[in-house]
Amino acid sequence: MADDVVDVLIVGAGASGAAVAWSLAETRMRIVCLEQGGWMNPAEYPSNDRDWEMRQAREFQTSPNLRKRPADYPINDDDSPIAILNFNAVGGSTILYSAHFPRFHPSDFKVKTLDGVADDWPIDYPTLEPYFAENDQNVGVAGLAGDPAIPAHQPPLPHIPMGRMGETMGRGFNRLGWHWWPSDSAIATREHNGRGKCLNLGPCNAGCAQGAKSSADVTYWPMAERAGVELRTHCRVREITVDERDMATGVTYYDADGVQRHQRAEVVIVACNGVGTPRLLLNSTSARFPDGLANRSGLLGKNLMLHPWGYVQGIFDEPLASHFGPQGCCILSQEFYETDTRRGFVRGYNMQITRGGGPVATARGGMASGAIAWGADHHAAFERVYDHNVHLGICCEDLPEEHNRVTLDAELKDSHGIPAPKISYTLSENSRRMLDHGLERGAEAMRAAGATAVQPSTSPMRYAGWHLLGTARMGDDPERSVVNGRGRSHDVRNLFVVDGSVFVTSGGVNPTTTIQAVALYIADTMKKNLANLFD
Amino acid sequence: MAEDLIGSDNPLSAAQRRTLNSVLDLIVPASADGAKPSAAEVGVLDYIRDHEAATLPALGNQIGRLEKEAQEQHGVAFADLDAASRQALVDAMRAADPALLRTLAVQTVTCYYQDERVLEAIGLEARPPFPKGYEVPAGDLTLLEPVRRRGSRVREA
Repeated sequence: MADDVVDVLIVGAGASGAAVAWSLAETRMRIVCLEQGGWMNPAEYPSNDRDWEMRQAREFQTSPNLRKRPADYPINDDDSPIAILNFNAVGGSTILYSAHFPRFHPSDFKVKTLDGVADDWPIDYPTLEPYFAENDQNVGVAGLAGDPAIPAHQPPLPHIPMGRMGETMGRGFNRLGWHWWPSDSAIATREHNGRGKCLNLGPCNAGCAQGAKSSADVTYWPMAERAGVELRTHCRVREITVDERDMATGVTYYDADGVQRHQRAEVVIVACNGVGTPRLLLNSTSARFPDGLANRSGLLGKNLMLHPWGYVQGIFDEPLASHFGPQGCCILSQEFYETDTRRGFVRGYNMQITRGGGPVATARGGMASGAIAWGADHHAAFERVYDHNVHLGICCEDLPEEHNRVTLDAELKDSHGIPAPKISYTLSENSRRMLDHGLERGAEAMRAAGATAVQPSTSPMRYAGWHLLGTARMGDDPERSVVNGRGRSHDVRNLFVVDGSVFVTSGGVNPTTTIQAVALYIADTMKKNLANLFD
Repeated sequence: MAEDLIGSDNPLSAAQRRTLNSVLDLIVPASADGAKPSAAEVGVLDYIRDHEAATLPALGNQIGRLEKEAQEQHGVAFADLDAASRQALVDAMRAADPALLRTLAVQTVTCYYQDERVLEAIGLEARPPFPKGYEVPAGDLTLLEPVRRRGSRVREA
């Protein structure tokens, strides 16, 4: 009965919604999750087919504006140098993520205290540490204990294979005296919770046919459904409804047949990512919330952070077998992660070593850059690049700025007629300097490792807006934040936000492990405070 | 003749296909050792028809420009020019119009590097990644000793 009152209604079945659903399931409350996409079938992922590279390019575009699957909604990102990327399905954007899984550092939660910029979080690393560990076990994280850049922890699974490529880059970092380490990776390197081990298929970022990559559809959702959580797919939420007491009463949504329904709920949890969440809340207007739900601070949608990205390609004389192995996971360097003001910017960035492209991507990219020519020289040029190339990504911490924001587009709507999000974003001078520094240091690392040709990307890369953070920030002050330190709206006492929207700052690493740790923390505080959850 | 009729299964005339094959052979010729075929032998036109049919009219126009230029400059069909003349003509036309044949070149390598003979020639088995996968060495962890020796770099917070 769709119009029964459920105890907990979760909107969004991605990384955070899945984790919260699993965590809350032990309460035996009636929990329903509404997800606008459907289940993905691993047998239909590109790596099942010979033409996997082209299927990836055609069917698994990272931008919803290009991909245009039925579950996608359009995003006006014309006013941003960085395009917004996502995926809409059970598992959310983890379906296409690379599973590079480094944790935030303790300093990431204290940037105001340490560096005098942005704000401190109301929670800290020690608070989240048990939830990082719990998440590592639940999703199956591969890694190597002992990384001196972060507090000690023990990844439950053996590290991802470095291959000859990782060794080569490691030697380069050693020549420079820089930090490096095998990346924590959300990939099962041996059987884990009934999932098969990684086969080194390669294109993790087009969905994992083996199910070894820890996307939320194969990690949390089977556990959550076994524990009694009801997941309704192809259900797109239009708005959250409220009563005269400023309490959420449920959501209005369109079911798989396009029929508008209302689901009543005692608690509503929003888990739609840093763009989808402000979009939903801004669309949830009423007489009591004319500027959008949970927006009395006026900060909803503001402070969008995107992790400006650049990369450097190095080409080596010796063959590195570089296109084999998990595409986005190998080793990382956090030599420049912490602030050193002599560099001309505050905060820092992560260097992520990623594998070289497959033959089609190598040839197409080489032709576009001019590295691989037409004609008689084509074969020699291709052989110089293919399996001889390494990519080094620069993931820059993006500081919160209110003018970087998500609003509602005045004209653009999704297939249900719901106003679409509009992105307004400019790159800060701090981020510009950080990117430039990263590209220079990346080139230096490549040359130290023996690269004979080094090619930096244009930056910021346009199709790199995976990490959507900060648009419903947490904090103790209702004037300066949207939710409190437990993820609860300051304005609506039974409304929670659990995705990357709540991030106060962005760190300089891929955020999914921290998003899930925060979500588990919020769920746990809800469980511990059920008797007075709305006080 | 039927093969000259342009239709959904036959998007270019026989003469146009002959010109196209000459161009494909310029983009990716057979390797000197013969291990890799010419791009004219890997079914590029079928690939375009199956996956990027919307580009066929533009391709036909560009082939027409090559044919016209060959006739005007040399008085023969493009495909009947010797290899050096074909190359010189395409180079001159692309110098004036860099976009000429750019899409075709990308389509050509896209198709070429999915061909079984080509994949085997570059050391790959012609198969999908799943389910067999690939072996990747774990790597030499002793390389991390210098990193370990430098000790913790966690910033106090």
